[in-house]
Amino acid sequence: MGHKIIPTLETKRLILRGPTPEDYPDFKATFASYRSRYMGGPLNPYEAWMLYAAEIGHWNIRGFGMWMIHDKDSDETYGMAGGWQPAGWPEREIAWIIWPDKAGKGYALEATHAARGYYYANGWDGAVSYIDPKNLDSIRLAERLGATKDKDAQTIDGSDAVYRHPGPAALQDSQVAHGIEMEITHYADPMFKPKGWALD
Amino acid sequence: MTVQFTAPTLQTDRLILRAPQLSDFEAVAAFYASPRSSFVGGPISAELAWRSLAQEAGHWVLRGFGRWTVVEKATQKPVGIVGLWLPEGFPENELGWDLFDGATGKGYATEAGKAARNFAYNTLGWSTVISLIADGNDASRGVAKRLGATHDGAFTHERFGSMQIWRHPAAEACA
Repeated sequence: MGHKIIPTLETKRLILRGPTPEDYPDFKATFASYRSRYMGGPLNPYEAWMLYAAEIGHWNIRGFGMWMIHDKDSDETYGMAGGWQPAGWPEREIAWIIWPDKAGKGYALEATHAARGYYYANGWDGAVSYIDPKNLDSIRLAERLGATKDKDAQTIDGSDAVYRHPGPAALQDSQVAHGIEMEITHYADPMFKPKGWALD
Repeated sequence: MTVQFTAPTLQTDRLILRAPQLSDFEAVAAFYASPRSSFVGGPISAELAWRSLAQEAGHWVLRGFGRWTVVEKATQKPVGIVGLWLPEGFPENELGWDLFDGATGKGYATEAGKAARNFAYNTLGWSTVISLIADGNDASRGVAKRLGATHDGAFTHERFGSMQIWRHPAAEACA
């Protein structure tokens, strides 16, 4: 029998692990909901299960993929974040989805920042996010991650906007990186109250 | 770290059954672009074919069993996807086979199907297995018959439509 290994990432509040069969119910509930409308949903049970199999298999055949986001203390899952590049994706993508009732706490920011940092430390020289132009929450998160709209980049199918992330060198010790870490600190420490609120 | 389970490699006289991998994509995409895939949810785009290949790998992790890429020993080329399948909504454990263009008429589905069924019975300890065959898929029904399966009812799948259930001989009968 063969095995493949998915690394675990730890952040201030979160632990990112490879998706497992036990994590499926929350994924299924999210993809049955309106929350998934910008990610090809809502899906019926067969489609949701097959998409989850594809999330897992992406790691297996591509060598990178989407982590399951867990609470460090309770182990509860909050969503998924990581790298994504099926056929038809012009470039490697940083992607995320947060379960509907877990939004607004900065989990997507914390998880995508860690995932992007991991991939940058392991050979990626850049990344994009493909976002439905109507998905304002996701666009706002991409912008908080320092990504900017790249009008000249090739899209998946013309219906998506391409947000280009700052590369590893541009991100290193940047104001954006420090800002992200400060924002995460504010979520993690109730003494601090973030200005405004996170939508994702 | 999370450990992902992948398919063990099996061998028959003419074939190798191994874990699905990225280099299978071209062959899988060609199959899913062709009318040959019409009984298994196709034809579909290259993007969905890629997803389908990822699903093959993911199924092994989710269930501990799945389908193999079948490679022809003589040419080292992928000739199909055969194995054990239980996505959400299937009535019971299934043995399925998809042969790529140019690989039919050689008994490959039967040969690989037998190896996969033996794995189900001898390694996984299953006592029974079915094959779901779309109405009108005569070639596939021929394979089921050659494997000794018999018609055992019907099942309607939300994506694949109306399918016949073909039940394989029980584990003891195949021993």
